[in-house]
Amino acid sequence: MRAWLYLLAGAIAVGIVTTPAILVFIFGGQHIDDSLLIAFATLMLAAGIAVVTMRDIIRCGLAMIVCFIALAGIYVQLGAPLVAAAQVIVYIGAISVLVLFAIMLTQTKSGSSRLTFQTQARWAGVAAVILFLLISLGVIGTNWPDVNARMHVVTETLAAVLFHDYVLPFEVVSVLLLAAVIGGVFLAKREDPSEETLQ
Amino acid sequence: MMSDDLTTYLVLSGALFAIGTFGFLARRNAISMLMSIELMLNAVNLSIVAFGAFIPGLQNRGAVIALMVMAVAAAEATVGLAIVIAIYRNRKTPLVDEYDAMRR
Amino acid sequence: MNQELTFLIPLIIALPLAGFLITAAIGKHLGKRAHLIPVGAVVLSWLVAMVVVAAVLFDTGPAAGTRYGGGPPFTALATLWQWIPAHGFGGSPDFTVSIGFFVDSLTAVLLIVVTTIGMLVHVYSIGYMAHDAGYWRFFAYLNLFMVSMLVLVLADSWLVLFVAWELVGLSSYLLIGFWYRKNAAALASKKAFIVNRVGDVGFALGIMAIFLDTHTLNIRDSLQILGAGSIPTSGLGPAPFPIPIAIVALLVFAGAVGKSAQFPLHVWLPDAMEGPTPVSALIHAATMVNAGVYMVARANPIFAAAPEVMTVVAAIGIFTAILAASIAMTQTDIKRVLAYSTLSQLGYMFASLGVGAFTAAIFHLMTHGFFKGLLFLGSGSVIHAVHEEQDMRKMGGLRKKIPQTYRTMLIGAIAISGIPPLAGFFSKDEILGEAFKNGFYWVWAIGIVVAVMTAFYMFRLIGLTFWGKSRVDPAVEPKVHESPRVMTIPLWLLAIPSVILGAILSWPGPPLGPLFGQSGTGLLAGWLEPVFAGAQQMLGRTETTFQIFGIDGALLGASIAVAVMGVVAAWRLFGVELGPIRGAQRHDQVKALTARVPGLYRASLNKWWFDDLNHVLFIVIGGAIANGAAWFDRNIVDGIVNGIGSVTRRAGGDLARVQTGRVQNYALGIAIGLIVMAGSYLFIAGH
Repeated sequence: MRAWLYLLAGAIAVGIVTTPAILVFIFGGQHIDDSLLIAFATLMLAAGIAVVTMRDIIRCGLAMIVCFIALAGIYVQLGAPLVAAAQVIVYIGAISVLVLFAIMLTQTKSGSSRLTFQTQARWAGVAAVILFLLISLGVIGTNWPDVNARMHVVTETLAAVLFHDYVLPFEVVSVLLLAAVIGGVFLAKREDPSEETLQ
Repeated sequence: MMSDDLTTYLVLSGALFAIGTFGFLARRNAISMLMSIELMLNAVNLSIVAFGAFIPGLQNRGAVIALMVMAVAAAEATVGLAIVIAIYRNRKTPLVDEYDAMRR
Repeated sequence: MNQELTFLIPLIIALPLAGFLITAAIGKHLGKRAHLIPVGAVVLSWLVAMVVVAAVLFDTGPAAGTRYGGGPPFTALATLWQWIPAHGFGGSPDFTVSIGFFVDSLTAVLLIVVTTIGMLVHVYSIGYMAHDAGYWRFFAYLNLFMVSMLVLVLADSWLVLFVAWELVGLSSYLLIGFWYRKNAAALASKKAFIVNRVGDVGFALGIMAIFLDTHTLNIRDSLQILGAGSIPTSGLGPAPFPIPIAIVALLVFAGAVGKSAQFPLHVWLPDAMEGPTPVSALIHAATMVNAGVYMVARANPIFAAAPEVMTVVAAIGIFTAILAASIAMTQTDIKRVLAYSTLSQLGYMFASLGVGAFTAAIFHLMTHGFFKGLLFLGSGSVIHAVHEEQDMRKMGGLRKKIPQTYRTMLIGAIAISGIPPLAGFFSKDEILGEAFKNGFYWVWAIGIVVAVMTAFYMFRLIGLTFWGKSRVDPAVEPKVHESPRVMTIPLWLLAIPSVILGAILSWPGPPLGPLFGQSGTGLLAGWLEPVFAGAQQMLGRTETTFQIFGIDGALLGASIAVAVMGVVAAWRLFGVELGPIRGAQRHDQVKALTARVPGLYRASLNKWWFDDLNHVLFIVIGGAIANGAAWFDRNIVDGIVNGIGSVTRRAGGDLARVQTGRVQNYALGIAIGLIVMAGSYLFIAGH
């Protein structure tokens, strides 16, 4: 019985994602790029909303992974396949796993009876909507100069720039990552009672 | 074409950012707040890549910046989650409004 | 002016002042001997005063030779020191006030009254207050009163007079409330002081007005300027006064109304009878209440320059006279009858001042002081005899038991009724005569009615107290005894002037006249003539000689006739046992009479409800207004102040709720701030 429900939910989700794409394709000028973008965008936003609204945290984490996948798709469309690859490897492969582990380590017993939202959630929602409107207004109202069509990033050129002009930030970032690793390990380390006594 | 327009991507980025803001301000679980922060960072990343794709003056270096941002986000997520785990060990709860030892 | 006089005048005041200070300091430890210092001081002061008076009064005669010839009348001045050296500069007026004492014939006459009666009351008090625990305190206060009254009479500056005015009021307060543990006494003393204060406000304003008009606070100088009618300015000729003379006169008169208990400020005097009888005799019959009369007489140029105000003075005076006389006819407390009688006679004096007969007013002041003092001291003796009973309905038949008191009080009653040749006849007749001759017929008519009532209620008092069957409480009756000699001797000493003073002071012709160098007018008139000459001139009056067979004789006859009428009426109702004249007390006839006019009787018994009117006006309505103001102050004024405080505190408390300690709340605040700033930037810069 439960398996049918999951299949149904999956079908609805697919439907939600593909319907705007099909609509845009039909009415927006038959451009594959547009409908692809719309599909990815819909998936991303839906997953994002799922991240912030679902009660079960594990499901939030999984929705976050879906969001990242969609984002990677949009990166590809923007002509930055390396960034898309990095997104998948780093965000989905590392950060999401980290998040899921942390969720596992901070599980609480009474998960379903607690509130998910703060008392200020309504105000937060209003603020978020207004923020979105402001950003949109700002962006749409700006006259972006010198804008051409989408450009594609050549990976070799990108690598050359990265290890030539931006080698210092590259190294610094690696040191930062080292520090983060050490710090994370130290912070999350369990205090071992047997280490207290010295011999 | 919609996908040839910078504003589309920027509006998308703004929407994701707004969603992330709402999640950060409204959720009780600390890890949910961190996930919302990740969403916000990703939104910014999207806008950086979009700029990189459309503005010739950047010479396609938007991707480099995006990579840096991604690395820093990873570091920050690491440390943040470690802190949450440490606090959880102390307070036995991941909910931020139950961290009230320093309140009146 | 002799040098000795300049030394003696301050001595008159210094002696009782020393008596007061010493008795106040050590009197408590002297016990029964506490009277020695104060009484001694007052007796010495009397002696010195008599010397000064003799020097001043008897040098006005041809012995000094220059009175009618245009020389200045004899006066004595003793300036002690500059109290307020406030010299004006740059054109502002000079506010310098010196402590100085000035004796002219008016002051001398008052000195006689004040010191003589004061001395006799002091001696009387030795006997009357002998059993009282506050013996030393009484004498200390009495001496304080003597000091203040003497300073008042001798003062040379309006400000010094005002200070003494207030001091006299204070002494009156202390003495009325002498038995302070008695609630009625405490209330009465407060009432006296407060009602006095009302008049004093007017007086103070009057003094300020005098200063504004004349730029000097010296009495003689200011009266000279005010009498002249305009400010003497150099160059441009006379300028009118900034404050009209009529206003000045009215304000000054207001002070007299308060101090001398005229209508409408008369309500304190009957209640003042709560004080010991010597106090009533001294302060409320002979000296303090006369301060108002003295002050108006001293300020006669002010009044003479404002004839309208003089009419007001006369009206208030004669109205008070008849009001008080009507109340006295039904009172049952022996001291209250005498108090209302005092009010009535004071009314006579003010009426006399109002019609322009200043000399007559001072004459009546003198004679009244003596016989009213006598009556009060006598009533004290009666009260002492029946063991502190003051209700006349519980007296009667005391003629044979306290003969000395009886005889002296009878003399006093005859004197006040205006039967010749006792003192009261001369002074009262002069007032009524002057009123008629100066055209104030209504004053004369009301005065005649008051004379009838006066004679009636006085002999009612004598009848109820001394004649008829004894109604004294049987437990007390065997103990009724005559007062000790220390009390009866002052009574006789006061009785003598009550008999002969009138004749002496007003006998116009030989053989007394040439003895003192007068011609045509009486002795007192001769003394006081220089004081009132300016006023008489302003009012356009001239001296007329006494015509026994003309108008004066007719008026004389009328006065005697009404006095006799009143006496006989009293005899018919309240009995008489004067030698061959006998009559029984007819209480049933009295009851029948009062039943015929129940409204008038009740009005008289209730003092015409003035106390109740004052109570409603000031306590009830005034109290309500005061409570309203207090409510306003507590709730609105304080409410605003406290409200600011509580608003601040609550605002602080409410604002403190912003600090929740939760990061997400703060983050929401940041988000809102960002939205507001970005949004406003977009709006302002974009559109």
